[in-house]
Amino acid sequence: MQGASSGIGYGLKYQARCISDVKADTDHTSFLAATLSLKEENEVHLIRLSSSGTELFCEGLFSHPNEIWDLVSCPFDQRIFSTVYSNGESFGAAIWQIPELYGELNSPQLERITFLDTHAGKIKCVLWWPSGRHDKLISIDEENLYLWSLDVSKKTAQVQSHDSAGMMHKLYGGAWDPHDTNSVAATCESYVQFWDIRTMKKTSSIECSHVRSVDYNPKQKHILVTAEHESGIHIWDLRKPKFPIQELPGHTHWTWTVKCNPEYDGLILSAGTDSAVNLWLASSSHDELNESQTDSPTRRVDPLLKTYSDYEDSIYGLTWSSREPWIFASLSYDGRVVVESVKPFISKK
Amino acid sequence: MVAGEVPVDDKAKRMRDLLSSFYSPDPSISSNSITNPSKHDDINSDSFDPDHYMNILAHKSNLEGLLQRHVEMAAEIKNLDTDLQMLVYENYNKFISATDTIKRMKSNISGMETNMEQLLEKIVSVQSRSDSVNTSLFDKREHIEKLHRTCNLLRKVQFIYDLPDRLGKCIKSEAYADAVRFYTGAMPIFKAYGNSSFQDCKRASEEAIAIIIKNLQGKLFSDSESIQVRAEAAVLLKRLDFPVDNLKARLLEKLEQSLTDIKLKPEEINNPSVDLSPSVSAHKAAVHEFTEAVRAFRAIFPDSEEHLVKLARDLITKNFVITEEYVKTRICADDLLGVLRVIWDDVLLIDEVLQEAALSNNSFEAAKVVVTLYVRSAFSHLQQDISDSLLKILIKDGGEECSLEVVLDASKKGVLQGGMDVLLDFRKILDHDSGILVRLRESIIDWVQEGFQNFFRQLEDQFLQFSGKNKPSSIIDHGLAEGAQGDKAFAGLVLVEIAASFSGGSARGYDYGPAFVPGEICRKFRSAGEKFLHLYINTRNQRISLLLKKRFTTPNWVKHKEPREVHMFVDLFLQELEVIGNEVKQILPEGIRKHRRTDSDGSSASSRSNPLREDKLGRSNTRGRSQLLETHLAKLFKQKIEIFTKVEYTQGSVVTTIVKLCLKSLQEFARLHTFNRSGFQQIQLDIQFLRIPLRETVEDEAAIDFLLDEVIVATAERCLDPIPLEPPILDKLIQIKLAKTKEQTSIS
Repeated sequence: MQGASSGIGYGLKYQARCISDVKADTDHTSFLAATLSLKEENEVHLIRLSSSGTELFCEGLFSHPNEIWDLVSCPFDQRIFSTVYSNGESFGAAIWQIPELYGELNSPQLERITFLDTHAGKIKCVLWWPSGRHDKLISIDEENLYLWSLDVSKKTAQVQSHDSAGMMHKLYGGAWDPHDTNSVAATCESYVQFWDIRTMKKTSSIECSHVRSVDYNPKQKHILVTAEHESGIHIWDLRKPKFPIQELPGHTHWTWTVKCNPEYDGLILSAGTDSAVNLWLASSSHDELNESQTDSPTRRVDPLLKTYSDYEDSIYGLTWSSREPWIFASLSYDGRVVVESVKPFISKK
Repeated sequence: MVAGEVPVDDKAKRMRDLLSSFYSPDPSISSNSITNPSKHDDINSDSFDPDHYMNILAHKSNLEGLLQRHVEMAAEIKNLDTDLQMLVYENYNKFISATDTIKRMKSNISGMETNMEQLLEKIVSVQSRSDSVNTSLFDKREHIEKLHRTCNLLRKVQFIYDLPDRLGKCIKSEAYADAVRFYTGAMPIFKAYGNSSFQDCKRASEEAIAIIIKNLQGKLFSDSESIQVRAEAAVLLKRLDFPVDNLKARLLEKLEQSLTDIKLKPEEINNPSVDLSPSVSAHKAAVHEFTEAVRAFRAIFPDSEEHLVKLARDLITKNFVITEEYVKTRICADDLLGVLRVIWDDVLLIDEVLQEAALSNNSFEAAKVVVTLYVRSAFSHLQQDISDSLLKILIKDGGEECSLEVVLDASKKGVLQGGMDVLLDFRKILDHDSGILVRLRESIIDWVQEGFQNFFRQLEDQFLQFSGKNKPSSIIDHGLAEGAQGDKAFAGLVLVEIAASFSGGSARGYDYGPAFVPGEICRKFRSAGEKFLHLYINTRNQRISLLLKKRFTTPNWVKHKEPREVHMFVDLFLQELEVIGNEVKQILPEGIRKHRRTDSDGSSASSRSNPLREDKLGRSNTRGRSQLLETHLAKLFKQKIEIFTKVEYTQGSVVTTIVKLCLKSLQEFARLHTFNRSGFQQIQLDIQFLRIPLRETVEDEAAIDFLLDEVIVATAERCLDPIPLEPPILDKLIQIKLAKTKEQTSIS
């Protein structure tokens, strides 16, 4: 209903769940997208946005042995990324490197640097150190949180420490605090929990149910955004963990994922299973907003800036480009990558 | 020159001319003035040429004429001669007389000088006489003056010696004014000689004055004396240098004390069981007394206005404070009106006496505060009532679902009735014609409108809170949760109803409030209603979602066993739906059953049905890359089906929305897992079983069918070996399940 979409499309062959911005690539705006096919050979696509910004083309196509549930590009080396995969029965995680001479090969194989093998529960996601070259990695499976030390040259990764989430909780995902790199947030059924990775102990928790996705605001300390299945998006100030400082209505069905813009404070993207991507503007001065809300709800401006609804299926993959922060890429379940620009909304700010 | 005059004036004129020519230094001017037109003919002109004249005459005239002319001329010459003689004679005459006059003057002046000398002599002698008289009388006069002064002094001394007696007399006759006058007159003397000669006198008179002062004070304080007398007493006291300010302060204090008695007792004013007259009349009397006192005071101490104004203001403020307190307790409009009327009467009374106090303005402000307070408290009480009644019902029948209708009715009644009552009350206030309220009318209308809006906003918040409170505890306390969940929906409905009654009947309560926009409130209610509806759907959906989640996360789908029966989660799911259906039925109207396929009303969320599902299920083994492409293509041509349409206030709409949301969740859960063949078949069976009862409950069959298919497709996609159950087996299993449920219901 939003009319013709301005987005640039790119099709994957199979269904897909994950897309990642290639942060380390400073010359191009690139994304890595991976397919989720139970029976076919899965692929990782290196997609690049042409310099004119009007076209998406495939820069590299690599086969991957299993269906991919999660993929994160390494923040310091554009050729390295991590995947979480499943062979149908069990889950695993690995660090991969794109082969150096892939341009010359016909069907280049990914070089596996190492497995992140813990022989424990169902692995959910891998987190890289938020920025810069660092050897630390975190993997989250249903029960445990592992801190890894990765040595790319020796192609090894070792568990440094780990902690279990406790019997009652099943971890789902997490995020690494970009302001305080000792702190990691992980989501489970009814909490967002925080670990200090120096001691590998739980520090605190926020009570909120069915958190599907969590993201730190990279521009503002202590601000955390969570997406819940049923009740939309909540913005939290970690110093006041009792109540969210702002609530956004989210999506008609589940709100699957939420991403804060790396450059423009308050700009939040969310994707949901109602086949839509919503662009929100959370007020940067949260306290003020909170007060005025209680004063008169009528005066509140609509935080929803735009709904991108030109999708055919649920959207699970969503990422901002860190190189051109007004661009985001979304991936719907039917394997369609759409890159959109939010420039018209930034100029308004 | 007029010709007729010539013979008469000719002679005189000539005389004049001659004289002037004689005196005039310039003959040309005079000759010019008597210019003759025939220059040379005129004998009188300067340029007369006798020869020429003679020539002309000789030429022109005959002898006779000449002779005649000769005669004429001779006569003229004779005339001239006599004239000349006369002139000379006259001149001479005048000269002689002038000489005579001078001669006479000379002789007169010589006689005057001697007279003057005599006069001077006499004046000098008069002066010397008067000097001598003056000196001889000087001593006597001085003596007389001295005697006079002594006499005065003696009189004064006499007065002072008499003063005590006189004062005593004055006291007796109460002529205090005279006494004070005497005393103040004697004051300077006492001051000068008080310590020596007039000691006794002074003491005596001071004693008398002390008595006078005492008497005056007594007079001043006695209420029985007339105001004038008291005012005079005050003036006299002031003249006696008595510290009047102290007195004033004391009097004011007294007044103030009497004021504390004029305390408003609103309870008494409005208590109908007690006889009205005593307290009200007592109050009136007190106020009257106060005004009298104020009037007296103003007369006595003209400079005390400031204090009085302050006192009066204090009184009014105090009354209003009491009223404010009173308003905080629960009162009806009549009570408020009664109190306000009493206060206003007081204000009018006092205002008459003390215009400077601007009491009416003051009280106007205060009344504003009171009325606002009243409006606010009325609304808060109303809200309290509503929530109380709600809570009561909730606690009473928390466990029973069927009480929802009661709750709805009660709260609806509460809101409507309460709202009406409050409106009537306000109406009463507006209709009241007491001066203060008339002036406030406009603002009261504003306040009431504002209050209403606030009230409804708070009501909305409260309902939200109600529902919010119950969210986390929904698992623990089902009963209450159910009630509260019901709240949300009914609140929505109630608000809408109020909105309707407002838009229709706003003229009834608000015919003088043109600024009031019922439409705006309607809109607000509608949006609030929508919000509540969504909240209801959300909480409901969350519970079912939990159920579904458990269903999907518990088993190991990869190692699932052959489906033997329909899984029991279906029962739970249907049960939940039934509960929702019951709740909704009590509250919302039944909608028109619609079978819509192309009906899209502004939803942003959509999905396309998958036309390949049958095929896919049939030959899913060969599913490959091309097939996905096929799916994509087919989707493009398939009609878009709206899944998340707008919720309406009908039973069907709400249930359908919930079912849709649940099925979509089901699909999403399925996508998160990997199934083996049996797992897929189990899902297929469950979904197939759901199909029939769901079709019956919802109003949008096409969308539900589509969503059910989507669940199966999603499962098939996540299945390693998606071979569906054979239709006969499917049917058989469903029949078994149906029979079982029937059995259960018949047993129970």
